[in-house]
Formats: sequence, structure tokens, C-alpha cells
Amino acid sequence: MPPGAGPFKGGFPAAPRGKSPAPRARGRGFPSAFRPPRPCHVMLPRQPARGGGRRAVARGGAAAGGGPWRGRSGAREASSLATAVAPGPRVSSMASAPTSKYNSHSLENESIKRTSRDGVNWDLSEAVPRLPGETRITDKEVIYICPFNGPIKGRVYITNYRLYLRSLETDSALILDVPLGVISRIEKMGGATSRGENSYGLDITCKPIFAFLNEEKFNVDGWTVYNPVEEYRRQGLPNHHWRITFINKCYELCDTYPALLVVPYRASDDDLRRVATFRSRNRIPVLSWIHPENKTVIVRCSQPLVGMSGKRNKDDEKYLDVIRETNRQISKLTIYDARPNVNAVANKATGGGYESDDAYHNAELFFLDIHNIHVMRESLKKVKDIVYPNVEESHWLSSLESTHWLEHIKLVLTGAIQVADRVSSGKSSVLVHCSDGWDRTAQLTSLAMLMLDSFYRSIEGFEILVQKEWISFGHKFASRIGHGDKNHADADRSPIFLQFIDCVWQMSKQFPTAFEFNERFLITILDHLYSCRFGTFLYNCESAREKQKVTERTVSLWSLINSNKDKFKNPFYTKEINRVLYPVASMRHLELWVNYYIRWNPRIKQQQPNPVEQRYVELLALRDEYIQRLEELQLASSAKLPDPSTSPAGPSQMMPHVRTHF
Amino acid sequence: MEHIRTTKVEQVKLLDRFSTSNKSLTGTLYLTATHLLFIDSHQKETWILHHHIALVEKLALTTSGCPLVIQCKNFRIVHFIVPRERDCHDIYNSLLQLSKQAKYEDLYAFSYNPKQNDSERLQGWQLIDLAEEYKRMGVPNSNWQLSDANREYKICETYPRELYVPRIASKPIIVGSSKFRSKGRFPVLSYYHQNKEAAICRCSQPLSGFSARCLEDEHLLQAISKANPVNRYMYVMDTRPKLNAMANRAAGKGYENEDNYSNIRFQFVGIENIHVMRSSLQKLLEVNGTKGLSVSDFYSGLESSGWLRHIKAVMDAAIFLAKAIMVENASVLVHCSDGWDRTSQVCSLGSLLLDSYYRTIKGFMVLIEKDWISFGHKFSERCGHLDGDPKEVSPVFTQFLECVWHLTEQFPQAFEFNEAFLLQIHEHIHSCQFGNFLGNCQKEREELKLKEKTYSLWPFLLDDQKKYLNPLYSSKSPKFAVLEPNTVSFNFKFWRNMYHQFDRTLHPRQSMFNIIMNMNEQNEQLENDIKDLESKIKQRKSKQTDGILTKELLHSVHPESPTLKTSLCFKEQTLLPVNHALRTIEGSNPADNRYSEYAEEYSKSEPGVVSLEYGVARMTC
Repeated sequence: MPPGAGPFKGGFPAAPRGKSPAPRARGRGFPSAFRPPRPCHVMLPRQPARGGGRRAVARGGAAAGGGPWRGRSGAREASSLATAVAPGPRVSSMASAPTSKYNSHSLENESIKRTSRDGVNWDLSEAVPRLPGETRITDKEVIYICPFNGPIKGRVYITNYRLYLRSLETDSALILDVPLGVISRIEKMGGATSRGENSYGLDITCKPIFAFLNEEKFNVDGWTVYNPVEEYRRQGLPNHHWRITFINKCYELCDTYPALLVVPYRASDDDLRRVATFRSRNRIPVLSWIHPENKTVIVRCSQPLVGMSGKRNKDDEKYLDVIRETNRQISKLTIYDARPNVNAVANKATGGGYESDDAYHNAELFFLDIHNIHVMRESLKKVKDIVYPNVEESHWLSSLESTHWLEHIKLVLTGAIQVADRVSSGKSSVLVHCSDGWDRTAQLTSLAMLMLDSFYRSIEGFEILVQKEWISFGHKFASRIGHGDKNHADADRSPIFLQFIDCVWQMSKQFPTAFEFNERFLITILDHLYSCRFGTFLYNCESAREKQKVTERTVSLWSLINSNKDKFKNPFYTKEINRVLYPVASMRHLELWVNYYIRWNPRIKQQQPNPVEQRYVELLALRDEYIQRLEELQLASSAKLPDPSTSPAGPSQMMPHVRTHF
Repeated sequence: MEHIRTTKVEQVKLLDRFSTSNKSLTGTLYLTATHLLFIDSHQKETWILHHHIALVEKLALTTSGCPLVIQCKNFRIVHFIVPRERDCHDIYNSLLQLSKQAKYEDLYAFSYNPKQNDSERLQGWQLIDLAEEYKRMGVPNSNWQLSDANREYKICETYPRELYVPRIASKPIIVGSSKFRSKGRFPVLSYYHQNKEAAICRCSQPLSGFSARCLEDEHLLQAISKANPVNRYMYVMDTRPKLNAMANRAAGKGYENEDNYSNIRFQFVGIENIHVMRSSLQKLLEVNGTKGLSVSDFYSGLESSGWLRHIKAVMDAAIFLAKAIMVENASVLVHCSDGWDRTSQVCSLGSLLLDSYYRTIKGFMVLIEKDWISFGHKFSERCGHLDGDPKEVSPVFTQFLECVWHLTEQFPQAFEFNEAFLLQIHEHIHSCQFGNFLGNCQKEREELKLKEKTYSLWPFLLDDQKKYLNPLYSSKSPKFAVLEPNTVSFNFKFWRNMYHQFDRTLHPRQSMFNIIMNMNEQNEQLENDIKDLESKIKQRKSKQTDGILTKELLHSVHPESPTLKTSLCFKEQTLLPVNHALRTIEGSNPADNRYSEYAEEYSKSEPGVVSLEYGVARMTC
């Protein structure tokens, strides 16, 4: 439910959740707010005691009640907003109050039951929808300056999970609901004397991440979705050429890899240790996916530590050859270096590099020209600039082009298509790496697997894919998103995972019947990537997660999704087992994901639910009703005449037949 | 046939410009009197109508042969490689001749014969009846009447014979006004909004120059505003950019002076002229692949062509018009220079926003027939049917179709027709296969005796209606009574299926629609089966009471049903219901879903006997 924040770095105003204009007569109305949120701007009324009114602008995610822009999410931990960073004459009212309240925990329970100051009988429990485990911290009457509709009087509530603003004006039923996890920056603007001129940055204090306090219960446990042994068994592993090794059981070989790895049968554990010394961060080549028929494989790793001097490592060379030899038909191993050629060369200066032709005779190397995390971050920031606060009008297309976002999407997809094509044609096995093998590599392997293996196009399959290629193989979610990190300017943040989801969305547009999940599924994943409500995307790697006992102490996002799968299902899904998807990665066929990036804009009237899907669901229901009636009628008529030749079919025969119609 | 020297060339290669691997097909090229036909080695046929050819180019000779590039008006581009230069040259010359006819009588429509007799042909032409349409709108009424002033095309040659004008406008006023309007196109009714009692009227620019006035024209405008009992003010929309309108004053034309006309509000809306539109489309096509498909700067190229900006301008004008009527209840008079290009666009699009009838298949035909064909949009000149002035060619109607397409994208449930319908109409404005779009005005069409010599397109489209149905159409929804499109920049997209309609690599959207259509058909089939069965049962019941139960009757219940044909192999005969339980089932109303309740009840009392699938059977045991 919480709207996601976006991956944009940099301050960004708060977004209210547009509340559907339905009458609020439902008493303890839970906002049915599924409209995209908008940026916001909250103004506190004059409070003489504190010396003058001031405006507090909730920037960034606060804004982002779901807007995709989230900058440098300070979001660490859902928690109270506090501590002015910039030196200023006053510490804000809005920001400081919560802190004190929060600190004096004793007030909490009492204040929940207390009647609000304005005399309106609103318990918090009535005023704010809460998750189990969510507790209230403070509330205040404020004026919310809506960037689209002007000032609106309202009351803001802050809990340890969200900032919730409800309009007090009866005629405008506006609700703003922002998980604190998505707030990227809070800014206090102006004092009594210098209105709007000075703005003070406010930092966000570190409090426990809400995910650890979340006591939601679901009837499905999402943590059990991914079991590496089962997944490898599904792929037919281990087999004659590949074995499962526990060498990394205690994360000694590589602390950013999962405990369980699949490596060539002929490589001993000692070989692996020696190879690890030659690969950046010890991320050795290990199997990601094996083709069920031609047995070619996708292998992932990090860059070799070649350095300026052009070092070689016999063990690494031999190891790659062993990988190649797992399939006898292959004369050369294909290495895709995701980086642009120049970057790969430049990496030599810092001890990295790429596999040279001289050292690796039986391999051919291609560069895929995908840019690094910094370029992607800047690109997405530019996308933000053209859609917020106002959507670029007169030069929309050229502005869109100048963000290069779609071009990056295109390059990532093109790379993945090449990987998939190599493997599915059986031409060769593929080794993918970038620099550290946790960003671009994860994008390429997971997208290629999605193209090759229809299993990953189901809801559970996709969850497994994310869990495996991203979470377990150490995509640094914490650093890339900025969970649990105070340093906003951190250059480690980058929307790499978002970019992957965007690619998946592009594919789902081109193959509307190939995926079991719908757009909402993808948006939900992104929302909770930033919300901190679930433990799924916390921390950088499996070892850290294990240390923090994430699976015991938090709830998995997949619990939410799998316990309510119908909401996320694509009604058009038709299972095709062996179909390889090759999306068209040309500019003509790629488009900006408006429903995600611009969904908070009030000018977008999202048709919810999607009319095409809805119509189809209606038709499906109608069909079932018809079939049922038909059965009954047949039953009725045949019963009177016990002649076998005219007997109707039971449902078991009927349904499958009808389904095979298409 | 005198232009055709070579009728058949073998070993011709057809390049696929959309495939990445530069694949080509080898086959034989045939030249007929009406078509260019390519049959490849898989016997797949590619037909290209001569009239569709916009441009033939012979490129420099290569090692594999002589390249021949044909650009079509339906945005198809075919690239042949003819092995011998001589053949190529012959075909090139023939196509040059064949694609540009000098006389109407040489056009395909005059030889096209769909094997219909004369009465069928006549019926086809009578399918769309504009008098009927005005009646539907609610005219004539107390304020509007049919004028016979133009019965013999005496006042205006490019207008239809039957025109609707305010009741209080006398003939001298009309005649006077027509003399003050360019080409005699005086203000007449285009659409009447029955609920609001407001009208959309259309005309051409006034011959006002810098200061000229015409009392009759002023009276006529006043009559129009008086015909609206609610709002005395009327809008006059000049669809041109202000600069163009001012420039026209120097030529003795111009626009209405607000001081001279009482109760008008004058408004420019800034749609560019036909020449700007033509070159914009040219640029669009260049960006999108006449010169190859290198697309690194696809989006900025698209933008610099200005095409989508022009589309937006037309849309904005139509929205302005619709708002004036819906919100202010005001009548609107629309004109441009001659009142047959931009005026047609804005009037027809405005009516489409206001009236859901025009969003049906039949209604859309009526709309085109009314605002485009009858009011004299110069189809033959704009589409270049004959070898004429290339400066008169302009994609004005294409723009209108594209605006409609954008609306269908924004309101997927509001239209009865789908994209294919728009594409098909676009195909035929250029094909010259039917008579509808030949000629430039009604008078010319009558002189050509089109109704006797050619066929109308509309009945053929209606016969194929199924292909053009939008499965998402919800006709009843009040949400779509009046459309209020959102013209935010990113809603304007490149119409891939129009400008790249021969790109066969992907058509995702349509495939979903096909699935829905199939499902729809299945459901209809099921519905019929149910009806069948129900009526049979009813029949039998009545017969039962008469004591006549015939086995034959029952036999006839199932065989037609497709879902049952293959499912007769019912294995569990023993589980079939027996008579005594029958009453329960018949008594339950299938709609209230009690069926499943019964199934549950029975499964509780008799566990484990049969699997769930046979719940139907179980509940009767």
C-alpha cells in the first residue's frame, strides 16, 4: 500500500496521495487512495509560542508518496524526522516535536487514545490507518501547500512508519500518505523574519527500520519462496559437469556471494580459492543458469584483476577453459563485459581489467557498452527534471531523448538479448561480468534468464529470479537505495534495480501474454523497494542478512504478494514452456513508463484497473458463469433421459476443452 | 495497358526494411493494369495498387542488380532489386505513368467491379443518408430550417445542395453573406447539440480586407446567435494562426472585426496551413525511415518534424469548441481560409467529442460523409488522385484520423471501432477503388456520375464490421458521453501502426484485442447454447405435461454446440444424477450461484467418494 518513492537522487517535494473524491462518509474512512501521489509542501500555521509560523517543506520522498523520485533517501529508518543539520536560528517545530515525543515513549499509548486538540473526536486509530506494529508519534495541524491545488488545511500525523496528512476541509478530501522510508530529505524553509529565503536542510535520525517492527501477518511466508537447492534442482543440477559446492558456507571465499554455489565438477575447491584471488572481491565465475537441452550455461563473475601490468593467472585461465569444456560442442567461451570498452581499459589503472585474447585463447570477448551506476543515476535524475514539477510540454520528445534513459534501457536489453541468443542457439556458453559483478551483471543475467526460461515469467518464478540473481548474489540494495545510510550525497546510490524492472515492463508491453504478473506487481515491488516495510531488500548481501536475522525479524514482500496473488495476475497470461522471448530493443518500440514515473501527476488519470485487463476478466467470469449454467441445463435435460449418448460432459471435461480454444 | 512494356520479371529481390538481418525474399514481379504484384518463393503475395504509389525511385546500379524503391501513400515502402537494369527501367517508366492518371475516368473505381448489381450498388450509396442525420440531431426545428438557396449550386459550388440555416435568416441575407465570404461559403449548420440547443456552424473567411463590412453577413451571424435561446454570445473561431489571417487581409480577405458584429467573441486557434502540414509529414517520414531506420535520434527527429505539435493544435481547437458548447452553452462558428481543411478537422473532431454517436462505426461514416465529403474537402486534390498540382496535396484528412486514433488511445472504451477501421479508411482515401472520395465537391461528384459508375466504400466496411469492432467498447457508460481528452505532452505518441504499419515485427496491442474478441465469440456461442437448451427444456416440459416425451427431441439438443462435440466421452456414467435429485437442481437459479453451495454441502456429508471435479454429480447422489 505505501506508495513507493522514487529512485531519484536529490531533493524532491513531498507527494500527497490524491484521495479519490468519494464521500468521506465512511466514518473511519480508510483512504482508498490508489491514485498516484503528488509532491507536497506543508506549512505550519503561526504558532506564537514558538515564535512565528514557518514553512516546512517536506522534500524528496516525502514528496514521493509514491512518486518515483526519491533521491538520496535518507530513509534509513523509518522514524521520526529530526535534527537540523544546517545551522539555523531555530530548529523547526514540525521536525523537532516528533523527536521529543518519540523519545519520551511513555506518551505514546496515551496519546493514541487522547482526543485531539482541536476537539474533534479522532483517535489516532480512527484517523490514521495503521499496520500492526505501527505506533503514533505526533500530530499537528498544518497547512499543506499542494503544488497543484494550492493551500489546504489539514492535520499531519507521524508514526514510526509513515507521515500521514488528512485534509480538514470537508470539500476536498485529500489524503497524503508517505512511508517515512521513502522520504529522501526534509527541508525547513524560512523563519519568521526571512520567509522562504533561508532553507535549512534537516537530516533524518536513525531509528530502527520499520521492517523490524512490522508485525503484519500473512498466510503465506514469502521467505520460503526461494530455496537455492530446489531452484538448482529445477534446472537439473547438479549433473555430470556441474556440482553444488558449500565452500562459501560461512562466506569465507566471498562475502558478497551466497552460501551455495554451482561450479564445474572438474574444478576443486582449491582451484576455486586460487581463482578467487584473481577476481575482484573474490567473485569467481559461478553458474547462473543452464540450458535444459543444449547444456550451454550463463556464468557470472566480476572483472579479473589484470591491472596495468597485464597480470595473468593460470588458474583463472584454466578455470574458464573448464567451464567451456563442460559442453563439448563449444570451441569458444563467449565473455560479455557489460562495460564500455573505454571503462574496462580505465579499470586497469585501479587493478581491474578484462580478459585479454593472449591469455584466454578459447574465449572471445565483447563489450556491451552499458554505462556505470553514476551515469544511470544522472540519467534518471534528468527524467525527473522533465516530469517534475511540471511535465515538459513544448520539447517533450527531445527532452526525453536527452535524458538517455531509454537509450540505457535499450543497451541493457540489447545486451541481454545477445546473451540469451548465444545460449538458446547453443553457439556457446556465456560468461557475464562488469566491474564487481553485482549491478550490470545482475541486470544482464536476470533479463537473459527471463527471456530464456518461461518459469521466471510466473509470479513465483520472478520472485525466485529476483531473490537469486539480485538478492542472494549481492546486489547492494542497501547502498544503491540508501536504506540505513545517513550519507545522502552517497555516490553509491543508483537506480539499477529500477532499471531492471523497467526493462521487464518493456518486455511485458511487447509480449502481453507471456508474463503471469501485471504492471501492478512491478510497481508494488518498486514501491516496497523504497518503503522499508518488508525485509526483502534490506542489506547488501546474504551474509549481512544472515547476521541480522532478517528472515526471522522481518516480513518478506513476497508474503504480501503471494497471499493476494489475484491482484497481481495478468489475465492474458498463457503459459508457453519453451518459448524464448526476444524483445525488440529499438527506440521505436521502447517507451517511457508513464504509469510509474509520472503517476503522481494529477493530469494523468490512470485508468484503474486497466480497461483491457478488466474487460478480459469480466469475459472470463462471464464464461465461467455460462459454462456453469450450461452444465446445469444439460444435467437437467439429460437426467430425464438416461441415454448415455446425449449425456453432457461434467465440468472436468468441459473446462479444459474450452480453455484450449486459444 | 499501353504503358506496360514488361509484365513479368523473375528473380526479383524484396528487401525487408524492418528486419535487422537485412533479409530478402526472392520472387517474381508482375505488373497488371491496376496493381504491382510480387509473389515470393513461399507463394506469399504482396499487392501494391498503382494509385497508392506516391513516389518511384530508381537508385544507382549495384552488383546484385538495379534497386527500385517505391513509396506508397499508405506509408509502405518497398525496396526491390531487379537483376537487369532494362527491366527495372521499363517497370519504373510504367509505374510513373500508371501511378499518375490524368482523367478521373482512368481511376480504379471506374473499373472496379465487386460483382454487385445496380440495385445493390444504389442501396450501398443510400446507406449514409445525411437528411436522416440532421433529423437525428434534431433539425429542422423552431430555430433551424433547411434552406433551398443552394439547391442548384447557385450560391456555392463547393457546398452540398441541402444546407441548414437559422430560421430567421432570409434568402437575401444568405445570398448577401455568401458574396462576402471566400468561395461563397457562407455560415451554415454543421452540428446541432440538441440538449444545449447550441450549434457548430462553419464557413470560409470573410472578404473583409482592412475595413470592408457586409450587413447581411452580420445579420446572418446574429441570426445564428439568436438561434441559441440560452446564450446570446457566440464564438467565432478562426483556426488559422493570427499572422496568417492578418496577411490574408492584404488580399482582401481576413477575419471578423469584433466591433462590427454584435455578440461575438473572436478567437484564433493557430493551426498551420496545408503546406506546413505537408512538409511536416515529409520530415516525419524521413525521420522514420524513408532513408533507412537508423534511430539514434528518433525522438528529437520526431519532435523537429513538428507533426505531433500540429496534431495537438488540431486537438486543442476541437477541445476548445467542445468546451464552448458544453460549458458555456454557446454556439460556435468555425472557419479557416476556405473552410474546407482546418474547418473540417475542427468541426468533425469537435462533434466527435460531443456526440457518442459519431464514435460508432456507422456514426463515424456519417461524420466523414457530412463534414468532409459533403462540405467539400478537396479529397482528390489533397490526396493527389490525379496528376495535378503537388502543392495542393496535404495530409489534412490523415491528421484527422490520427487525432481520432489518439482519442481511441486515451479512451479505449469510448469507440465502437478499432485502429484497423481507421487504417482501412486511410487506405481507401488513396486507393481510388471506391467512389466516395473521388472529386473535390458534391457538384463534381454528381457530374462524374459516381453513384452510377462506382461503388460506395461504406457497405463494404459494414459487411466486414467484425474486423473493426473494438472489444473494449462500452456504449452505455455515461463516463464517455462527452470526451475531455488530456493533451499533456506524453499522451501524443508516434502512430506506429499507421506510419510503420508494414513493420511486421510486433503488434502487441492488437494481439490482446484478438484474444478478447475470441473470448467474446466463445461467450456468445455459449450464450446461444444456453438459450438453445433452455428453449428445448421448456418445450419438453410442456410436452411432458402432455405426456409426450420424445427421445428425438432431446437428441437435437446438443449436436450444434461446439463445446460439447468433443466432450461426449463422459467416463463416469455411474455418477450421473438420478431422477429424484433433479428437482433440487432445477429449483436452483443458476444465476445466484447456489450450485456451488450444494456442491459443498454434499461434499461434507459424503467425503472421499469422488473427487472434487465431479462435484456436479455428487450433489445429486
